Amino acid sequence: MADLRVDLAGVTLRNPIVTASGTFGYGKEYSSLIPLERLGAITVKGVSPFPSAGNPTPRTAEVYGGMLNAIGLQNPGIDAFISHPDYLPFLRSVDCPVFVNIWGRTVEQYAEVASRLEQERKGIAALEINISCPNIKEGGIAFGTDLGQAAKVVSAVRAATSLPLITKLSPNVTRIGDFARCAVDAGSDMISLINTIPGMAIDIETRTFRIANRTGGLSGPGIKPVAVRMVYEARQAVKVPIIGMGGVRTAEDAIEFMMAGANAVGVGTAIFSNPHCLLDIIDGMDAWLDRHGIADVSSIIGVM
Amino acid sequence: MPDKIQVSAPILHNQRLQKDYYQLDLSAASIAKLAKPGQFVHVQLPELQHRILRRPFSIFNVDLDSGCLSIIYKIVGEGTEHLSKLAPGDVLDLLGPLGNGYTLFPKNRKGIIVAGGYGSAATYLLAKNAPAPPVVLIGGRSKDDILLQDDFKRLGCELKIATNDGSAGHHGMVTELLTQAIAKTSNPAVAACGPNAMLKAVSEIVEKNGIDAELSLDHAMCCGVGACFACVVKRKADTPNGWAYSRTCIDGPVFKASEIWWD
Ligand SMILES: Cc1cc2nc3c(=O)[nH]c(=O)nc-3n(C[C@H](O)[C@H](O)[C@H](O)COP(=O)(O)OP(=O)(O)OC[C@H]3O[C@@H](n4cnc5c(N)ncnc54)[C@H](O)[C@@H]3O)c2cc1C
Ligand SMILES: Cc1cc2nc3c(=O)[nH]c(=O)nc-3n(C[C@H](O)[C@H](O)[C@H](O)COP(=O)(O)O)c2cc1C
Ligand code: FES
Repeated sequence: MADLRVDLAGVTLRNPIVTASGTFGYGKEYSSLIPLERLGAITVKGVSPFPSAGNPTPRTAEVYGGMLNAIGLQNPGIDAFISHPDYLPFLRSVDCPVFVNIWGRTVEQYAEVASRLEQERKGIAALEINISCPNIKEGGIAFGTDLGQAAKVVSAVRAATSLPLITKLSPNVTRIGDFARCAVDAGSDMISLINTIPGMAIDIETRTFRIANRTGGLSGPGIKPVAVRMVYEARQAVKVPIIGMGGVRTAEDAIEFMMAGANAVGVGTAIFSNPHCLLDIIDGMDAWLDRHGIADVSSIIGVM
Repeated sequence: MPDKIQVSAPILHNQRLQKDYYQLDLSAASIAKLAKPGQFVHVQLPELQHRILRRPFSIFNVDLDSGCLSIIYKIVGEGTEHLSKLAPGDVLDLLGPLGNGYTLFPKNRKGIIVAGGYGSAATYLLAKNAPAPPVVLIGGRSKDDILLQDDFKRLGCELKIATNDGSAGHHGMVTELLTQAIAKTSNPAVAACGPNAMLKAVSEIVEKNGIDAELSLDHAMCCGVGACFACVVKRKADTPNGWAYSRTCIDGPVFKASEIWWD
């Protein structure tokens, strides 16, 4: 039994495995399949100040090595998130740190969700600022691919809350290190990466886009090497904790991310294929560390 | 007792029924025990590593004594093609039972089932669990597309067939049979599963007759448990545009016809 605990800017996780935003709902959806208290942390689907209908359908397409999605951040809005028994009230009853992923169409809206959550801090371990969603017209990736905009969003959220902040970075930039540094300079306590990579798929028989939004974000095993490289580059640029993700399916994948520099590892698309993989990854990491005579998982972080 | 389970289910039989339709019997007692008519299982495709998403299939039948859970699938693509090659002893990873399922037919109303394609499989347990055998109307392009005739007859159901090419039963649409059946019954309870165009026509007919129906919708899915918002359909709602997106996998797949917002 290795020590799997990791420390993320003062938030202690019992193991490094975190659910990736948008792939685990608000936790309750999977609660009869997975004992939530075994997870390192739960990151919920992106929450905005207003209820959001999301994009037209079809919203997803299976592609070689993964899938494309353009859900468009459908969510019930901050009021329902705070008060409806299926969301925050449920999560408060679960013995597992919760990261609330937030987004808005403007800088002010990001700050608005953050200040609402600041007042409702009980049961919230950190906020994850999504400046990297490729599937919405305003907000999202528009903030995450412009250093000035990214800094504005993070600073505004920083001013609105003292909760630990994670900034979720987009892979759609040339120099990820610049964005990692920018987020940290603006007050982010941690960073997470990568969000999905913009892609497209066409049905050649019907000559239609396979996703109504035309473009969608690529996730799944095919993006892992890109994600590992970006985590490695971000690790060179900043000292703060990094949550690495993109295509993780196995314990070996998670260990690879940690060696590249991640302090914790997000699992997303793999949950769709196998919800139980979350537990298999945690148990597999433990077994791998034992096999290699490593007592503390933290000792492999950023060894490359 | 959890409401859904992930299990490894050994294949007992995997046999071609007719044309591109196959019946797959699995050993999955824990899911069979929980299954309600109209619910589905989410099936992982083994070995197809590049096909990462599960495939949803309606629970056709369960045998609580043997723990057998059966589905009927049509080969439409790579995943279902792959399923057809699996043999007894191979193991499938199942998630289920998922979705809300049909309301059981009430004692005091005659049940009418309208099915197209795999819809026969999706509604079979509803007929089996009905207080009295319902009227079953099955439509298809041709007689090879009509599934489970004998099974419904064995339950004592009054069975009517419609084919587009006239190769069996009524030459025309199954919805024409529905109009006739409704005319002959006072206040029937209608349940349907089939292609979208059929379900839309069923909605129009029941609305015209001042009754409602329960429709099982088919939408591409990812998680199957309500977490990802991939599978949404437009449902009437008190919003500026008159509708809101609902998740087929958890709020459905069965919806009231009167709730659906048809584009
Ligand atoms: C709640 C529910 C219950 C279902 N029950 C059954 C059942 O009992 N028996 C059965 O045979 N099928 C059922 N389906 C449909 C079944 O899930 C799909 O046919 C299957 O996923 C196709 O997989 P594939 O890999 O063979 O096809 P793919 O390679 O994924 O697709 C092949 C072709 O089929 C189309 N397709 C893919 N998925 C669907 C879909 N969900 N609906 C319509 N077209 C699709 C694609 O657009 C493509 O043109 C059900 C679907 C849902 C949502
Ligand atoms: C269906 C789906 C929905 C997602 N929704 C969100 C979201 O709301 N907010 C967010 O920051 N990331 C979202 N993501 C991105 C994931 O959190 C993750 O960064 C990405 O999918 C890469 O990890 P993976 O390959 O393990 O899925 C979503 C991904 C998928 C597949
Ligand atoms: S398939 Fe994920 S919400 Fe329905």
